[in-house]
Amino acid sequence: MTTRSAVVRLTGEAKQWRERNQVENEYGAEPGRSVEHAAPPEVTLANLEDPLLETMDPESGRPKHVIECRGLSLSFGQSRILSEVSVKFQRGTITALIGPTGSGKSTFLRTLNRMNDKVRDFHHEGAVHLNGDDIWSSAQNLLSLRRRVGMLFQRPNPFPMSIKDNVVAGVKAHRIAKGKQLDVVAEQRLIEVGLWEAVRDRLDDSPFRLSGGQQQLLCLARALATGPEVLLLDEPTSALDPVSTEFVEALLRGLAPALSMVVVTHNLGQARRISHNTMFLYGGRLVEHGPTASLFEHPFDPQTERYVSGRMG
Amino acid sequence: MDRNRGRRLWELAFRLGAILALALVVGPAAWLLVGVVAKAAPHWRWSVLFTPTTGASGGLANAITGTVVLMAGVLIVAGTLGVLGGIYLAELAPARRGGKQGSSVLRLATDVLSGVPSITLGFVVYIALVLGLHWGFSLAPAVVVLSVMVIPYIARSTESALAQVPTGYREGAEALGMSPGYALRKIVVRTALPGIVTGLLIALAISSGETAPLLYTAGFTNSFPQPHLIHTPVAYLTYPVWTFYNYPSNEAHTLANDAALILVVLVLILLIGARLITNRAERYSEGTGR
Repeated sequence: MTTRSAVVRLTGEAKQWRERNQVENEYGAEPGRSVEHAAPPEVTLANLEDPLLETMDPESGRPKHVIECRGLSLSFGQSRILSEVSVKFQRGTITALIGPTGSGKSTFLRTLNRMNDKVRDFHHEGAVHLNGDDIWSSAQNLLSLRRRVGMLFQRPNPFPMSIKDNVVAGVKAHRIAKGKQLDVVAEQRLIEVGLWEAVRDRLDDSPFRLSGGQQQLLCLARALATGPEVLLLDEPTSALDPVSTEFVEALLRGLAPALSMVVVTHNLGQARRISHNTMFLYGGRLVEHGPTASLFEHPFDPQTERYVSGRMG
Repeated sequence: MDRNRGRRLWELAFRLGAILALALVVGPAAWLLVGVVAKAAPHWRWSVLFTPTTGASGGLANAITGTVVLMAGVLIVAGTLGVLGGIYLAELAPARRGGKQGSSVLRLATDVLSGVPSITLGFVVYIALVLGLHWGFSLAPAVVVLSVMVIPYIARSTESALAQVPTGYREGAEALGMSPGYALRKIVVRTALPGIVTGLLIALAISSGETAPLLYTAGFTNSFPQPHLIHTPVAYLTYPVWTFYNYPSNEAHTLANDAALILVVLVLILLIGARLITNRAERYSEGTGR
């Protein structure tokens, strides 16, 4: 199995491999053939030879890539936000989504759990697959899709109800547990996000008495309570102080093996600290996608290089 | 003449104007309250609350219960329709078709209705229901006319209370996979409840103080409200205020003053009750949390 934390310094072969896939991606993926655009953390000769081998996870029997986008284009009315993005998110990893404001990061992120569907004049082309199933297919239940693909917002948004009710809000909505079980769920999740000790004596209090960082952790606990496979995070720490930010980052890293995450961030340091892979979006196009360390240290594209070195954005 | 002095003078004039305006608003209200209490208090008898009217004397028990029944009727009819209408306009009306148009139709309706003297509404209902459908002076036409008056108001206050629910709550609910109806019930309406309740309360206060439309629809009776929607008149508190005051007997004047005091107290109870509900609903809100 691949290890998630290991990031491989690119060897000559690996660089060639990435260049080859970059070219393939520009012409679009052929049907039935998987383009390994997302370089796995371990680049070995075996999977260079045959990327198809990598599409199934032998342990879980599920597709190795939790989310796969094929030729995804998004637009609101006449203005096109995202063009022809094909990308795969590897199970159990954190992917950072970087790019200047207006590059389509948030729109892309909110498309993955179909939060844009109701937006006026929103239009999409291409496909997004979650575990191999089209998220827009009629067989897909929108509510259960969102249970499996959770979301954390830029500003903490606890509901105006008690702290405990906040944690179990989604659990109640999906009838995953009831009665006494709810207390157990609340405790487990609050422990998981490291908030239990701080709030155990005031579970019936208003969440707005908590600090901003604690509120965001509460929202994280709420999102985790429904047992999602994927968590989408839209600048989760940009409203938080540095200490809370560090805490949240450590937490996210710890969640990684069990949970796949996509994090939009303007904080390049954060992308480097927490993510396994990084996607660079610019002007609605996916410019580059690869292991975080190599994208930052040996960017393939000159635009990426300008952005990650701070000369743009 | 330096500019500073001119500015200070202007500032002073502005302050004085504001204080004057406040006095003009608060003064009459306070005068009214004091007047009502001062006229009713000296010869107040508690028995007024428990004895029904006989002619222009006796007590007001029939009118008190009648007003309470009328308000309950308005709460049920206008409250349900108004709140549901407001929820529809704010949340469910498709943005492209109904949304904008629906609320502008509602706004028009509110403006027109608030411009129509309530006595006109009373007359219309009198012709249409009391005479037209032979309902007679009774509970149903009275509730109808009061409801017609306040439904647009309730719908509008509900709509604006819902519009003020932060987007973050809605998005959070949506992202957790709550169905729109569930999110509406558990998150959105609950958050907007203080605003909705306040709107309902003001609507009730308006309807409890109405006289003109009730003269045309409710009639008056010495007996307690009966469990009949039509053909049976209902007593109400504004009737003695309006009618008994012109009677020559002292006893009638006393009853008129008592009725005014009871009405004021009733509205006060409504206000306090709504305040309590609002506080309870707001115990987890962002404003009081900090």
